[in-house]
Amino acid sequence: MFRYSATKRIISNLEREPVVSNLGPTSDELWHASDRDRNFYTYGSMGLCSSIALGMALSCDEKVISLDGDGSILMNLGTVATIGRETPANLIIIVWDNEQWGQTGHQKSHTAFGTDLEMVAKSNGIEKSFTVADEEELDSILLQALNEDGPWFIVAKIEDEPYLSVAPVEPEHTLHRFRQTFVGRPDRVG
Amino acid sequence: MTWAQTIVDALKEHEISLIAYVPDSSIHQVTKIVDKDEYFHLVSATREEEALGIAAGAYATGRNAAVFMQSSGFGNSINAVAGLAIPSRIPIPIFINLRGEHGEFNIAQVTMGRSTRPILDVLGIPHYTLDSEERLEEKVNGALKLCYASREPLALCMTPLLHGGKNV
Repeated sequence: MFRYSATKRIISNLEREPVVSNLGPTSDELWHASDRDRNFYTYGSMGLCSSIALGMALSCDEKVISLDGDGSILMNLGTVATIGRETPANLIIIVWDNEQWGQTGHQKSHTAFGTDLEMVAKSNGIEKSFTVADEEELDSILLQALNEDGPWFIVAKIEDEPYLSVAPVEPEHTLHRFRQTFVGRPDRVG
Repeated sequence: MTWAQTIVDALKEHEISLIAYVPDSSIHQVTKIVDKDEYFHLVSATREEEALGIAAGAYATGRNAAVFMQSSGFGNSINAVAGLAIPSRIPIPIFINLRGEHGEFNIAQVTMGRSTRPILDVLGIPHYTLDSEERLEEKVNGALKLCYASREPLALCMTPLLHGGKNV
């Protein structure tokens, strides 16, 4: 499975659901797939993608989708425990797992040596945890996840592909545009 | 009114209803009140940078959120402030129990405690030290108002002169 093609397919299944994307190519590909006002791109704070999504899921009624990565979530496995403890029914975590730190030189990550993120999630009480290897499987579980209570934790095994151009996004603009869709009024300036 | 209740009231005044924290014996005086009050959702994080991520997500969806941590944990969370809250302009009030102050008994707490405010300065984060109950309500409410007006993270550093420190 290739991440960009799978990202486009995910977006085609969504309406207004908020999506948080891990830094780097995951955010770039989300932007290229569709620059929605409900996309929250991250460009730093590696490891926090699913923690941000957890904060969103605890604060809104809609399904929230996190597009995380294996290297990123390995930095912050504690948040899997917090998700297991809070059990937000509206949270869907998708972990793109290429078993490597792609951007820093394709160094192998721990998932290449046996770390099983699906089992990590299950052992933290997230029962609806799955590993998928092709788009059809991902599509089918995502459709279920969008319609049934979670939390959901989906490890999506992916292959290498060329990077797209860096998305021309500005973090402050991303936050403002995203937040406005929830608060429905401009923040006071003076 | 206790110092802890004054802080809880100020949180409500600013519609801060999600609190993400890592436990600390002094902060417990605040979080035990928060935990019993249905107005709040208290989220126990495994690490301080995670607490900041959770608070950022809450704010992005329109809910004000604050974080509580020890100064040692502030050390764990600097990149969440520098790489998320500052560039995205997310106002997160960061309540920090300053260890390494008067009466500290643990040498391992001294350096991070002493370095916390200089690090906040280098990051460009406004910070206020809460070291007595005198004018506490005014200080906390003023700081929270500034935090949301500036749309920047802001720190409130609490010392043992405010909360009595950790008794051993």
